[in-house]
Amino acid sequence: MRKIISRILTLALIMTLTSFAANAQVKSLEKYADMKNVTYVYISKAMIGMAQKMSAPSVPGMEMKKVMPKLTGIQIISSDNKSANAKLKAEVADIIKKEKYEVLMQVDDDGEKVRIYLHEGKTQSAIIMLTEAEKEVTIIAFTGKFSLDDVKGMIDVPSDDD
Amino acid sequence: MDELNIKELENIPIPEGLEERLSAKIDEWDATSRTIAIPNTPHRGGAGRGSWRALALAASFILVCGIGLYFALSPSNKGTIDTYDDPEIACMEAQKALQLLATNLNKGMAQYEAVNVKGRQAEEILNKQLTKLK
Repeated sequence: MRKIISRILTLALIMTLTSFAANAQVKSLEKYADMKNVTYVYISKAMIGMAQKMSAPSVPGMEMKKVMPKLTGIQIISSDNKSANAKLKAEVADIIKKEKYEVLMQVDDDGEKVRIYLHEGKTQSAIIMLTEAEKEVTIIAFTGKFSLDDVKGMIDVPSDDD
Repeated sequence: MDELNIKELENIPIPEGLEERLSAKIDEWDATSRTIAIPNTPHRGGAGRGSWRALALAASFILVCGIGLYFALSPSNKGTIDTYDDPEIACMEAQKALQLLATNLNKGMAQYEAVNVKGRQAEEILNKQLTKLK
């Protein structure tokens, strides 16, 4: 009886923990996968790994060999619908407030507003980039195990265009 | 012989209220024997079984919660399923997203650098003017 109960408890604990571990992304943004007028893209860690093995992506000004292994998920949410745009902006404001993100950068360029936020967690960190154009709002969330120094390292390499 | 004895016994006068007192005494003995017997007999096993039952109930509750969370948070949710099956398309999308991040980070850094340069220039002019005044 004792053995059975202890096994049940262990199994329950493992299942609960794995359910949290599987959530390698910004949870609050998941609901936009089903929302009308919103495009939702999710790229998992496994897919990032496969993509890296098949054809190593290259981004000017970014050391991909350092960046890619640290990523555990990418979420891209975009919309050109007025009400959906308002919801997306409010959602980001809510996440920033609740999960204590810090503003990394604010760029206003040619009528386009870009806000980059960083959340450094013990087990998982996240970068949220909110882009507000005239009609379109895009949220890109990068989750992974990285620190502020890693983010700095991303921009230390001079751009190829320079 | 026996019949006679019984008849004789029946003839003996019974003191008033004896029957009630005896039945009351019997009830009293019965009650005390019950109160003693209850803790002695299945007490240990009963309590043990009770606690194990409670533990089993807690374990099943945790298991149900675990299963619920597992299915609520992971594979059944659309937001956690890969959008692309083809790694090449996923790679292109990831590249595009990272490109946007790099561009904006570099843009921000460029603006920061420009402000820094202007600040340094202003400081130099101010220093020159101060030395002239001296």
